[in-house]
Amino acid sequence: MKASAAPSRSSNANRISATLVALVAAAAFGGTFLFDPVPPGLPGLGAVEFPRLICITILGLAVLLFLQEPGQPDPDNVAPDRGALAIWACCALFLPAMALAGMLGASALFMVVAGWLWGERRPILLAGVAAAFTLCLWLVFVRVFRLTLPGGLIFGG
Amino acid sequence: MTHAGVGGGTDITARMMMVSAPAEFGQEFTVVNRTAGSGAQALQYLASRPADGHTIILMTQTHLLTMLRNRNLPQLSDLIPLARATEDPQMILVRRDSPLRTPEELLAAGRARSLRFGGTHVGGVDHVAIFAFGRAAQLQQPTLVPFRGGGDIVINLVGGNIDVGLLNPAEAESQLRAGEVRPLMVMSEQRLSGFPNVPTGKELGINATAATVRGYAVLRGTPEDRVARLEQGLIRAMSGPIYRGYLENTGQSLDSVAGREVWGRQLTGFYEEGREALTALGLLR
Amino acid sequence: MEGFLGGLAVLVDPYVMLMVLLGTVLGIFVGALPGISGSTTIALMLPMTIAMGPVPAICFLGAIYCAANFGGSITAILVNAPGDPSASATALEGFKMAEKGQAGLALGMSAVASAIGGIFSVVVLIVAAPLLAQSAYSFGPPEYFALALFGLSMCAAIGGDSAVKNLIAAALGLLIATVGMDLTTGVERYAFGVMELSDGIGFVPVLIGLFAFGEMLDQAARRYGKPTIAFTDAARVPGWAEMRKCARSIWIGSGIGTFIGALPALGATTAALIGYNETRRWSKHKHEFGHGSIEGVAGPEAANNAAVGGSMVPTLALGIPGSATTAIILAGLIVQGVRPGPHLFNEQPTLLYAVFASMLAANLFYLAMGLYMARFFARISLIPSAFLWPAVFVLCVVGAYGPNQSMGDVYVMLAAGVVGFLFRRAGFSPAPLIMGLVLGGMVEETLKQSLIIFGDDLSGFLGRPIALLLFAVTAAGLLWPVASRLLRFARAARA
Repeated sequence: MKASAAPSRSSNANRISATLVALVAAAAFGGTFLFDPVPPGLPGLGAVEFPRLICITILGLAVLLFLQEPGQPDPDNVAPDRGALAIWACCALFLPAMALAGMLGASALFMVVAGWLWGERRPILLAGVAAAFTLCLWLVFVRVFRLTLPGGLIFGG
Repeated sequence: MTHAGVGGGTDITARMMMVSAPAEFGQEFTVVNRTAGSGAQALQYLASRPADGHTIILMTQTHLLTMLRNRNLPQLSDLIPLARATEDPQMILVRRDSPLRTPEELLAAGRARSLRFGGTHVGGVDHVAIFAFGRAAQLQQPTLVPFRGGGDIVINLVGGNIDVGLLNPAEAESQLRAGEVRPLMVMSEQRLSGFPNVPTGKELGINATAATVRGYAVLRGTPEDRVARLEQGLIRAMSGPIYRGYLENTGQSLDSVAGREVWGRQLTGFYEEGREALTALGLLR
Repeated sequence: MEGFLGGLAVLVDPYVMLMVLLGTVLGIFVGALPGISGSTTIALMLPMTIAMGPVPAICFLGAIYCAANFGGSITAILVNAPGDPSASATALEGFKMAEKGQAGLALGMSAVASAIGGIFSVVVLIVAAPLLAQSAYSFGPPEYFALALFGLSMCAAIGGDSAVKNLIAAALGLLIATVGMDLTTGVERYAFGVMELSDGIGFVPVLIGLFAFGEMLDQAARRYGKPTIAFTDAARVPGWAEMRKCARSIWIGSGIGTFIGALPALGATTAALIGYNETRRWSKHKHEFGHGSIEGVAGPEAANNAAVGGSMVPTLALGIPGSATTAIILAGLIVQGVRPGPHLFNEQPTLLYAVFASMLAANLFYLAMGLYMARFFARISLIPSAFLWPAVFVLCVVGAYGPNQSMGDVYVMLAAGVVGFLFRRAGFSPAPLIMGLVLGGMVEETLKQSLIIFGDDLSGFLGRPIALLLFAVTAAGLLWPVASRLLRFARAARA
């Protein structure tokens, strides 16, 4: 990491997060206008006052954050490499995989693929650990506690 | 299948029934908890299953109000009631040092000003019951102070933050026994065996009842022979010693368990009452 | 006293003892597992206990409850996935310790602090339950409002790298807490017709996502930078030096936990968060907080286990459950024919003291197991990342799905994970957000209830001495740092 570039990056990070937070607050403020009306004749505060107050507070704080002096950048913040992006993509693909293979099937699959991407290069060990872990999950959740986990098209829960 | 989270009163009712049900039906039972949307998700789940009697819903009045407020869900006419599981009448309670010492004083005060009633959320079962009570007794429209549950209502009743509580005897049992709250009337057809000296609302000329009821239903379209078998099987399962013990220990009457006729009539009655109350309160669109 | 000895005598029964032991093992296990909480387990075990008879049944359920609260800290420390919501405060410092290679130290301290907190609260329960229970009646909505404000008032100080960021995180938590049906108006907020949202955003999926999934996303980006931890360090368990250092935190946590637990509307999670705040406020090593402070593990762990005993106070003495778990235990008691209430202490003392004795025994059991197992559990922090973190992700999904069996909770968990990751990257901390989420709903709800009770008149608060006292403490806590700095500044200027 280049140390010289760090302060400006951190101040940018603060500005970006301030803008994001402000957008969320503005959206939430707008959302309050979509609430159903409060039934007539109820005493006390309505439904919109409190969320609006919070949104305004967040907007104010976001302005403060935008203007704030940047602090020391966190040395732990490593830019994601290709492998990390692939792992993140795996997480995103978990839900479609679940529709296909069920929650447990997708779990086993995910552990193998993500483990490989993580840098583990012993496929038999990966598959073994994934299978054992999934088996434990099935034993505990399905057999012992009788919770039904969602099934998929080709592999029931 | 129940709308309650694991461990709620409704969930426990189902699980207690299930202790003896497998022997009755020669089949395994599982509880599916579908908690979201005050029963809405449970109703949706029921609708998504085939009408073969293998999916039974344990429903309460909450489901009826949810149906009324969301017409896209299965309605009461889409269900066949099977059997009632519990009926837990509610009582009108005041705290020990309340100036409202008798039903008459309560009624007089309620006509002079709006009394603060403790109940669950706005538009919920308690709200409807309180509204119906207020109208039948010709009170000024009561102010509902909403709480998360019966325990909170009891505490605030004793603490003096509300004037009146509408509660099941079991919810306030320890306070009743310690004399910290005083029952003014019970909102059932007959006096309760545990409180022989407390008059019913009907005796006092107030034509309203209030009770927490739970019971089973299946989707319309289930074959008639299955329905009959389910009704009888459920009633038998709920006549076993474990279920009776559960009813007794939770202070619910033993004739809670009833067949589909009684249960169906009760559901229809509450459905109408709920519709009137929600309309009058401006909660229906 | 006779009753208590009678209760102790129950423990000599090997069958009861076996039940307590089974309950403790089961409790630790499900507590550690995200997705199955102590309350779920107790609910599922309830029908099975009917055949046991009252004493073994209640001892069994009580042991699960005590041990599950401790168990939650194990996964919180090892993989930043609080197994139980009450362990979220533990994750804040505990996981940082594990990253530094002090997993055994954190786990051991968690066992010790939990056991002391738990035993302290049971002793209070034995001595003062009926008395303490009466104070529940003095706490109505106005008092809870004041208490929630007090809890929130420390938000700016805990967590991320600036007060502004902490306040933003807290406010976001408050905003999330407004999702769902508004109790006092019946209006659905930010639900947009989505059924899963109408009951509000679940606490468990947010926690699991924010902590564990967020951590996993971050770990994926820095797979190669991980320092290797020597096993001998990781397996070290706390000794006398650590005990002395944490003594004050443990007592603060125990006291706060017992009191908060005894209030019916508040539970172990709130107790742990406020315990964390106060531990930090009174600590002599404030600079360690946020970087793996052992006191920051001891305080909240003592608090959440003290809350267990505390929450039995209203359950047994008033018949009003103080938490989701005690609600189920209450149901269990009632099914067994036990009638909770003030008279329970006179009418069925043997049974009551058997409950107390079994809770004490459970606390001692998991202390022994926790200390003994700490060095083995600590190995989990040595598992290679390529196996550990994908497994954590899977556990996050199953854990979010488990409690309500709802895919909606899984989506919430995934979204919370992305937020948690962005938070980490931008120097925000999840701690204030969790505070806002836990206390936010209460702040709004109790304020609205108070206004209804007072007839829309804010001056009604003036007639509530306890609420006023709490407001004053909050104000003093907020102003004290400012005042002391001014004072120092003035002195320095004169010198």
